[in-house]
Amino acid sequence: MTTTNPVIGFSSFRSRLISFLLALLIPVLGGIFYYVNSNNEEYTEETINTYLELGAAVFDDTREQQAATLITVFNSLTWDFGFRTAYAANDPATLFDAALNVLDRSLESGDMIMIVDLELNVVVDTELQGFVALEGGWKELVDRADLSEDGIAEAILTIEDNPYQVIALPLYLPRQVAWIIGGFALDSDFVTEVKDTVVSDLSIVRLSNDSSLEVIESTLPDDQRELLAEQLIVSPQVFNSLQRIDFIEEEFTTLLRPLFGSANDPVQIIAVIQRSYDENNENVVQSRQLLIQFYALIIVISLIAVIFLARSISNPLTRLATIVQRIEKGDYDMQADIRSRDELGTLADSVNSMAVGLAEKEKVRDLLGKVVSHEIAEELLNNPIELGGEERDITIVFSDIRGFTSFCEGLPPRQVLEELNKVLSTISDIIEAHSGVVDKYQGDAVMALFGAPIKGENDARNAMNAAIEIIAALGKMDGMLSACVGVNTGLVVAGNLGSENRLNYSVIGDTVNLSARLESLTRHYGVTNIVSEASKNAAPEFDYREIDEVRVAGKQESVRIYELIAKPESITKAEREELDWYADALQSYRHKSWLVAEEKFSELSKSCEYKTLYQVFLDRITYFKNNQPAEDWTGIFTFGKK
Amino acid sequence: MNRIFSAIIVFCCSASVFGQSLTVSVTSNEGEPIPGAVIEILLPDELKSAYGETTSNQVDQIDKEFVPTITTAVAGSQISFPNSDDILHHVYSFSPAKTFNIPLYGRRENNDFVETFETPGVVEIGCNIHDWMLAYIYIGETSLVAISDDSGIAQLDSLPEGEFELSIWHPRLAESSGSTQTITVTGTASLDLQIELELVRDRRVRRAPSANRNRYR
Repeated sequence: MTTTNPVIGFSSFRSRLISFLLALLIPVLGGIFYYVNSNNEEYTEETINTYLELGAAVFDDTREQQAATLITVFNSLTWDFGFRTAYAANDPATLFDAALNVLDRSLESGDMIMIVDLELNVVVDTELQGFVALEGGWKELVDRADLSEDGIAEAILTIEDNPYQVIALPLYLPRQVAWIIGGFALDSDFVTEVKDTVVSDLSIVRLSNDSSLEVIESTLPDDQRELLAEQLIVSPQVFNSLQRIDFIEEEFTTLLRPLFGSANDPVQIIAVIQRSYDENNENVVQSRQLLIQFYALIIVISLIAVIFLARSISNPLTRLATIVQRIEKGDYDMQADIRSRDELGTLADSVNSMAVGLAEKEKVRDLLGKVVSHEIAEELLNNPIELGGEERDITIVFSDIRGFTSFCEGLPPRQVLEELNKVLSTISDIIEAHSGVVDKYQGDAVMALFGAPIKGENDARNAMNAAIEIIAALGKMDGMLSACVGVNTGLVVAGNLGSENRLNYSVIGDTVNLSARLESLTRHYGVTNIVSEASKNAAPEFDYREIDEVRVAGKQESVRIYELIAKPESITKAEREELDWYADALQSYRHKSWLVAEEKFSELSKSCEYKTLYQVFLDRITYFKNNQPAEDWTGIFTFGKK
Repeated sequence: MNRIFSAIIVFCCSASVFGQSLTVSVTSNEGEPIPGAVIEILLPDELKSAYGETTSNQVDQIDKEFVPTITTAVAGSQISFPNSDDILHHVYSFSPAKTFNIPLYGRRENNDFVETFETPGVVEIGCNIHDWMLAYIYIGETSLVAISDDSGIAQLDSLPEGEFELSIWHPRLAESSGSTQTITVTGTASLDLQIELELVRDRRVRRAPSANRNRYR
C-alpha cells in the first residue's frame, strides 16, 4: 500500500485537526486578549493619571490651606496686645519667648517663627539659623510681601535643608514695625495628611546642585524611599510627565510637583505624588488572569472535543485501514464492524461489500485458475468479457502422449486417470514454465498457446523450448511413453467462445488445425515433432531438418514441414552425415530421380535411426515409379484424409 | 523703604524783621497738594523758651476713629483722649517718644485722663480693640510747628530772624528720616517755601466694611 504524505506532514488526522484548531483559535483568542488587555491598561493609565493629578491638586490645596491657616493664626496671634507689648519692650529674650508662645498657641499649624524689623534685621528666629539680616529666599519673600497689597506672601524655603511652607505678614504697632515670618515643616505629618486625603503616596525630595536626590519625607517605607531616590528622574523636562518606579514587589507611577523656594536656591524641593500602578492594575491583572483561564478552558475543551472528534473518525478509519490491509493480503473474511449512519458507516459498508465482492472474485479466480490457465483466468477477470475476439499471431504447440493407450491396458480407470493427470501436469508445468498457456486437454493431448492471451517477446522460441522439454520429459518418464508434438505459428482468432452463459477462452483458425495435423503426422513420419515453416521462421535460432512439403487434408496450400533438432550441439558426425544424406535424398526425390533417391533412402534406412521416415519415401518412390506424377509436380505430397 | 525728601526753597524776598511769617506749600512731585505734613522750625536752645508755651489738646474718638488724626503740641503739653463712642476703646502707644496705655474705657469715663508728652517726636497711637484706628501726635520742641491743610499749605508766624533748621514730617515719610532744610529768616519780607515730597505707599490696617457697624448686635 502506498502512503501519500500530506503537504504539511501531519502524521495523523488528530494532529491535523488539533493543528487547525490551534491555528484558528490562537490568533482569534490572542487578538481578543490583546484588544481587551490594551484597553484595560489604557483605562488603568488614565485612572492613575487622574488620581495623580487629583493627588497633586490636593497636595497643592492642602499646602495652601495650611498656609492660609498659618496666616490666619499668625495674624490673629501677632495682634495680641501682650505680644505687641513684648515687641515694644525691645527685649530679645522676652520676644523670643513671646514668639514661642505664638507657636504654642497656633495649635501646631506653625513650626517656626521669625521676626524681622523693617530694615530686615532678624530680631527673633526660633530656628536659630544665625541670620543677622535676611538673605536669599527669605529676603525675596519679604520683598514680595512688601510689594503686595496686604503685605502677605508665601514661599517654600528650606531650614537646614528641610522644606518649610513659610508666610510673611506685617506686625502693626499700630503702624507696621516689623515682619513676622511663620512656617510649618513639610514633614511626615504633612505628607501623611495628604496621603490620607488622596490615597496616594507622597514624597518630598530634595535635588541638590550636584544633582543628588534625597528623599526628605515620604509615606513610603524606607526601602522604597531608596529605590525612589535611585530611579526618579527630576528635571524641568519631566515635570509634567509620568514616571514608572519599580519597587521590585510593585510598580509605582509618579507625578512631580516642583516647589522651588527660589530660583537661586542651591537646593530645590520637589513633591512626588505616587500611586501603586499594580494596585490600580489589579483589576486588569485579574481580568487578564480570568481571560487566560477562560482561554485555557476553551482550548482544553476544544482540544478534548477535537480529540474526541478525531478519535471518532480516526479510530474507525484505522480499523478500516487495518481491515483493508488484511483484505489486500487476501483475508476476505474480514468485516468492518462499524455501526454508524454517517459517511464512515457508508464507507464501512462499502468495504464490507468490497471484501465480499473480492472474496467472490477470488473464488472465481481460484476456480478459473483450475479450469483454465492462470493467464487466461486473469485475462477473463481483468477484461470485459465479450463474445468474439481478436486476431493474434501466436504459436501453438499440440502435444500428444504416444503409447498411453497400451500403457493403460489392464489398469483400473482411476489409476489411468491418476497417471494421465501426472503426465499432463508435467506437460502443463513445462508449458507454463515457458510462458505458455494450456488451452485445453483433449484426452491425452494438450494444446498450448504461446502469445495469447498475453503477447510475449519470444513466443515462438518459448514454444520450441517447451516442445523440446516435453519430448525430453516424457522420454524420461517411462519407456513406454513418448511425446509427439506439432508446432505451428500463424494468425488465429483469440477470445471468448461460447454462449452468454458459458464461455471458453480459446483460439480458432487454420493455424490451430494445422498444428493438430502436424502432431498427427509425427506418427506417419516416425518423428517426435513436426514444425511448420512459419514456426521455423519465427524461431530461426534452432536447428531444423526439412522433412517434407505436404498438402494436408482439406487444404489447397502446401506447407513445408520440419523436424526440430533438440540438441544441435550434441549431434554426432554420423548423425550430421545422415542429415546431409537425407537432404540429398529428398532433393533427388523432388527431382523425380527415383532410382537415385531410392538408393539414398535405402542406404539411410539400412544404417540410420529414422527407418519409418525413410520407409515413407521408399514406399512413395515405389509408387511413383509405377505411377509417374504430373509434369509440374514439385515434390508436394498430398494427404487425402485426416 | 525708600524715603525721598526733596525741597525747593524759594526766597521771594529777604527781610530780617522779627515776627516774619513762613508759608510752606507741600506738594507731590506732580504738584498735588499734600495735606497732613508737619513742618517745624528747630530753634537753638536760647530761643526755645520764647516759643515753649505748652497747650492742652484733645484727641477724641468718634465713630471708631481718632479725631484729629494728626495733632501737634509743644513738648510738655497735655493731651486728653476722650471717648465719644458708645463702645469701649483701649488707647495705647508703643512709640519711644511716649509710651502709654489707657485700658478699656467708655464714654465720659476719661474726661480727666490726661497724658503729658514731654519728649519731642512722633507718637503713634492706636486702639487695641479697633486695629484700624491710628492717630499721630507730633510733639515739637517749640510751638513753631504747623500742619499743612488740605491745600498743602502750612503757615508759621512770628518767626525770629536767623538761620534755622526746618524739619518736615509726614506719616508716609520715614520716622527716622529726620529730613531737614536750612532756612534763613531775615528782614521784613515774609518767607514762602515750596516743598515737594515723594510719599511712599502707606501700609496700615484698613477699616473693614463690617467695622462700620455702629452697634454690637
